[in-house]
Order: sequence, then C-alpha cells, then structure tokens
Amino acid sequence: MEHRLSTALLIVAHGSTVNPDSSAPTLAHAAEIRRRDLFADVQCAFWKEEPSLRDARFLFDPKTIRKVSVVPNFISEGYFTQTVIPRELELNGKVTRRSDGQTWYYGEPVGNHSLMTELLVQRARETAPDIPENEISLLIVAHGTDLNENSAVAAKREAEKIRALGRYAQVLNVYMEEFPMVSDWRELTSTPHVVVVPFFISDGLHSYEDIPVLLGIAGKGSDSAGGQGGDFFQRGPYRIDDRSLFYASSIGTDPRVADIIVQLASRAAGADDSEN
Amino acid sequence: MPDPTETTLATVFNNREAIGQILIQRTPLAGFVLCHRDDQTNDHVETFAQAEDAIEIARYDDDGNYRPLKTAPNLRHGWRLNLADADQLGRTIDYFYPGRLAMIEAWNQNRLITTSLRDTLNRQSGMYRIAAKISDEQIEEVVGNFCRSSDGCLRTILWKRDGEGGVASTELPPEKFDPGFDQTGKNRRAVPLLCQEGCSLLVNECREAVKGETNE
Ligand code: SF4
Repeated sequence: MEHRLSTALLIVAHGSTVNPDSSAPTLAHAAEIRRRDLFADVQCAFWKEEPSLRDARFLFDPKTIRKVSVVPNFISEGYFTQTVIPRELELNGKVTRRSDGQTWYYGEPVGNHSLMTELLVQRARETAPDIPENEISLLIVAHGTDLNENSAVAAKREAEKIRALGRYAQVLNVYMEEFPMVSDWRELTSTPHVVVVPFFISDGLHSYEDIPVLLGIAGKGSDSAGGQGGDFFQRGPYRIDDRSLFYASSIGTDPRVADIIVQLASRAAGADDSEN
Repeated sequence: MPDPTETTLATVFNNREAIGQILIQRTPLAGFVLCHRDDQTNDHVETFAQAEDAIEIARYDDDGNYRPLKTAPNLRHGWRLNLADADQLGRTIDYFYPGRLAMIEAWNQNRLITTSLRDTLNRQSGMYRIAAKISDEQIEEVVGNFCRSSDGCLRTILWKRDGEGGVASTELPPEKFDPGFDQTGKNRRAVPLLCQEGCSLLVNECREAVKGETNE
C-alpha cells in the first residue's frame, strides 16, 4: 500500500472521564491496525482523555510523516465531527496543509460507512446463531434526542437498509429517549425471537445499564452480574413472557470496525488535493 | 539506520531514571524493568511482561477508581513490568502517559506550540463556552488547586494565563513551570511530562468555577 511510507493514521474519539470502557474499542482498533503495518504510524486522540485532540497536532514528526489521515470514531456526523474536532485539530476542511509541510486529511465518521450495515447483520447473527432470521425482530438502538449527534437518523438509515435485505421478520430503529422507544419492544415486535443491537461506538452506562433496564432484563440500579456490565451480553437469551430476547454489545466494539477505519483513512487521503 | 523510536527514547532517557511516578531500570540484556517509584525495594509485587499490561495498570488507582487523568499522581502500586527492548518501552510509556513522549520530542525539536489558558477558554463552544467568563482571580485558585503536583497533576506547565504572559497561577511554586524539576518531589533526574495547553478537565473546572459549583 503506497500510504505505508509517509501516511499516518489518527483515530479520534470522544473518550470519557468516568467510563473506562469508552476509549477501549478505539485503542483496540488502533492496536489491530498497527499490527497490519499499513501506516507509518497509528495514533489515537480523545476529547476527554489523553492524548488530547490538541496534543494530536504534535504527535507526528513532519520530517518523517508527510500525510495524516484523520478518522473520527463516531456513530454519525454531528457537533463533534463538524465543530469540535476540526476546531481542536485546526483543520480547514477535508484537506489541510500545515506550515510544517504536513497535509492532514479529514475522513468521514465510522458510523457512516456502508460496511456498518453488514456488521450489524453479522452481529445479530452471531448473537442468535441458531435462530432462523425470518423468526427474528431486529432492533437497532440509538440514543435519540441527542443534541450532539444525529444518531437517531443514522440508526433509522441502517434499519431501512437491513429491512431492504428482506431477511428479518421485522427490523426497527428504536431509541432510549424518543419514540419508538426500546422499552416498548414487546408491543413493537410480534416474533418469538428479538435481537437487540446497540448502535453505539463503545459500551458504557447506556449498554450496561440503561438499555437492559429499558428492556426489562435488569432492575434499575441493579448489577446482578457483580460489577461487570458486560456480562449482560453473555447471559442471553432472556426468556420474557413467551419470547426470547438476545442482547448484543455495542456495534463499535466489533473488531471489524478496524476494516472500516482503514478504508475511511485511505479514502480520505485519496481526496483530491484541489478540493481545498 | 537506527530505529527512530529508539533514537528518540535514547535521547529522552539519557541519564534519566524516571518518568512521572515510574522508575525505569535497564537490564544487562538491553531490556527494561519498570515499577512504581515507591516500589523500588518492594518485592511483593505482581509481575507483568507485556507493554499492553500497562493499559490495565494505568486504568485504576490503588482504591480501584478510574483515573481520568493519567498524569495525576495516583498511579497504582504493587506491579513490576519486565520489557524486552526499547520498542516495548516506548509503547509502554505511551500507555502510562499517553502522548507525553511525542510532546517531549516535539519540544526538543522546537515545534511544540503552547496555548494560553485564555485562548483555550475563548475557543470553547457549547456547554463549555461559559468557562471563558472566569476571572483572573478564579484562574489563580482553580489552576493552583487543580494542577498542583502534590495531589493534582504531575505535568510541568508551559502555558501562560493569557496573551500578556501572565503566569498560570502564582499559587503554584516556580518549579511547576520548570521542566528540569522532578514534579514528584523525589528530586531525581526524571523525564518531564509537559503540559503545553490546559486540558479538558481544567476547562471543566473553570466552567464549574464560573457556575459557582466548586466544592471549595
Ligand atoms: S491543565 Fe495540564 S497541568 Fe493542569 S491538570 Fe490538566 S494536564 Fe495537568
């Protein structure tokens, strides 16, 4: 790959000052991509963790690295991808030339990639491997009413694309804070099997606690698994009434997201230099 | 041609034995042994051998609380990390203190740019925009409390309060701004953890101060 010699990859993500699992998938994808040896360097930067987005400007030595491809590990376009990241990294659009001779390319957010649809389907299949798809209602859960991201729109788009495949009995986009609500899953679905996949970039309070409570597989404030929210994903299927409910971890934790990041980085660096 | 990582590390660690709270000892076989600087003579430690083990070690403090600021002086005790070579050492330090080696390298090459706290605050948007309203007096106090090395953060502050070059906080001792000073107070030759711009946690503290929500 021609990028190998002088292009570096910078994966930018939100991170968290309270949730240790927030940055974990981003770091794991970076480690995987580093192993593939496709870029001169692979680094991460975070809004809420270290290295910071501001640090990122100094992570790559301009003597050896001439190009930097920036890929936002976000589920959708929004406040962070459109305002915060360009401002903090001092990007002026898709292509930014720095005075030190480095060129920075700004890619699309991970959630926008068409492979996402495939990942959601694969994740659903892996979560309920023995159940025929035409007996499954697939629920794609997003936050909804999120001022910072258009996650509801993105989840709706993904649900539409999966529905168009015609494989599942039902495919629904549901939200934590707006209609259709994830807590209404019993009324929204009519199949014996229901598979729930959170459309988030990482696991955390939403996938460990809020969604299990809304689904009725955990009590409020309970952590019956003894501290590790991730156990919810292993302990399914949950029998509720006469239905079986399968619950997957957030889609962003899927190792194949690394493929998406690589593709977005290459696409960004291939952007026509005349664009800016 | 030597590996550039090794060259940088060799320059950075030349005659230095520590970075932040981590002691770095060379082994006869070109490897490295890392431990908490308080644990140099402690043999009752858990032993690790992978750079990636540093991620877990750095994540929680001695009480099991998540460490949102990796340069805070609350690295957990009771571990030893045996590393095979300089490449592993570089990766490990980057897990313990993410980005700090790259900042030193940029600083050594005269390309690290500092940003005054006023510029950082004036740039904020959304819920952090209000932080720019902070007074100079409040900055004195917030920075003095939040960034101090004893229980706040071990970085050496390179940024100024404002464009006039005002010191970040007169409540901090002059050593807080001296990269030659060992911020742990152990007075050994340590690699400095540089702070070229106020971090997002400090911006949040400034916001809280403006909103009158500090616990002080
Ligand atoms: S602003 Fe710098 S010195 Fe202060 S707490 Fe943040 S990183 Fe540490």
